[in-house]
Amino acid sequence: MSDGEASCEVADPQESVPSKETPAISYPVKVLYCPECSLPLEYCEFMPDAVQQRCRAWREKNQDLLSQEGVDIAALNLDDSDSANKKRQKRGGRGNVKAKQKKEPDVVKLARIPRGKRKFVTRVTGLATFDINLKKASKLFAQKFSCGSSVSGDDEIIIQGDVTDDLIDLILETWNEIDEDHIEDLGEVKR
Amino acid sequence: MFKKFDESENISSTNQLKSSVQRQIRNKIIEQMPEIEPFLADIWPKKENAKIIKCHDHIEILSISEECQFFKQRDGPWFPTIKLLHKYPCILPKQQVDRGAIKFVLSGANIMCPGLTSKGAKLDEDCKLNQVIALYAEDKTHALAIGLMKMTPQDIIKVNKGIGIETVHYLNDGLWHLRAVR
Repeated sequence: MSDGEASCEVADPQESVPSKETPAISYPVKVLYCPECSLPLEYCEFMPDAVQQRCRAWREKNQDLLSQEGVDIAALNLDDSDSANKKRQKRGGRGNVKAKQKKEPDVVKLARIPRGKRKFVTRVTGLATFDINLKKASKLFAQKFSCGSSVSGDDEIIIQGDVTDDLIDLILETWNEIDEDHIEDLGEVKR
Repeated sequence: MFKKFDESENISSTNQLKSSVQRQIRNKIIEQMPEIEPFLADIWPKKENAKIIKCHDHIEILSISEECQFFKQRDGPWFPTIKLLHKYPCILPKQQVDRGAIKFVLSGANIMCPGLTSKGAKLDEDCKLNQVIALYAEDKTHALAIGLMKMTPQDIIKVNKGIGIETVHYLNDGLWHLRAVR
């Protein structure tokens, strides 16, 4: 099964024998992970095609970095040459697994929800899509606005009081990765 | 075990560990993996806060300084996570599968005997039944899974059929993608 690929990967034989540990290794061993598929670089080739393409693109972009870290690029099956033998599905397995759907664009949504006649709460959703710790965020909101604030759902913070305007400024200020375009003010929403 | 595992669904609670319990776990890990002892002080500094993350199916994950390092199911043995194993490869005995098996292991399959006896594979015959092992692959430097011996190596050679190693945790599974839990 391995004939086609074996020729493009001539890693030095000692490396391929895991049981022979070179004594000079210092711990912890530093392993490079592919930022696209999160696996060690040598396992990228086993990802679905669509993901692999991104891995490949990343490697081409970061060749300097890779050679700096002493990675043998030739040993990583970087080239596209094995796509020929990918086309035919080999015996067994699931064939070409579809890559995960790309996430929808991240938007932080602010909404004002009435509570009784003249009181409001502010609902913030979408912060988690930016990898923000919701608990810490809600604590920050509570401190800045001196009001109650709680994480009320999977990706939802409720802030007591109508703080929409100040909130937009605060979010922009605190998290650089969130741009003005990422924030959507829904205005008044019924609960 | 972690094929379908999701942070938001499968975790029921996280607890700060008492120091006496920490000591117990520490001893247990050393007893089970003697090779880890010189490194354990680095992996798990004395002062560091250890948390236990309780998950469904009686799985418990030990998280040290916000990073998952070990896990176990029920009263079973402690397994290191693959990330930890990559850093300290010598803490577990090793087995190697051939190249054809990699694809299946990465989607969670158990290791069948032929994958361990064929040409590209290497079978460590000193392993015992139900021992925790690190699984490597032909031509690859880093481990791709952590498993449990379900047959003795002698049986694997003799019978050469069926499940030889049960895959417990593999690259790209739910635990691999589990980020730091607070």
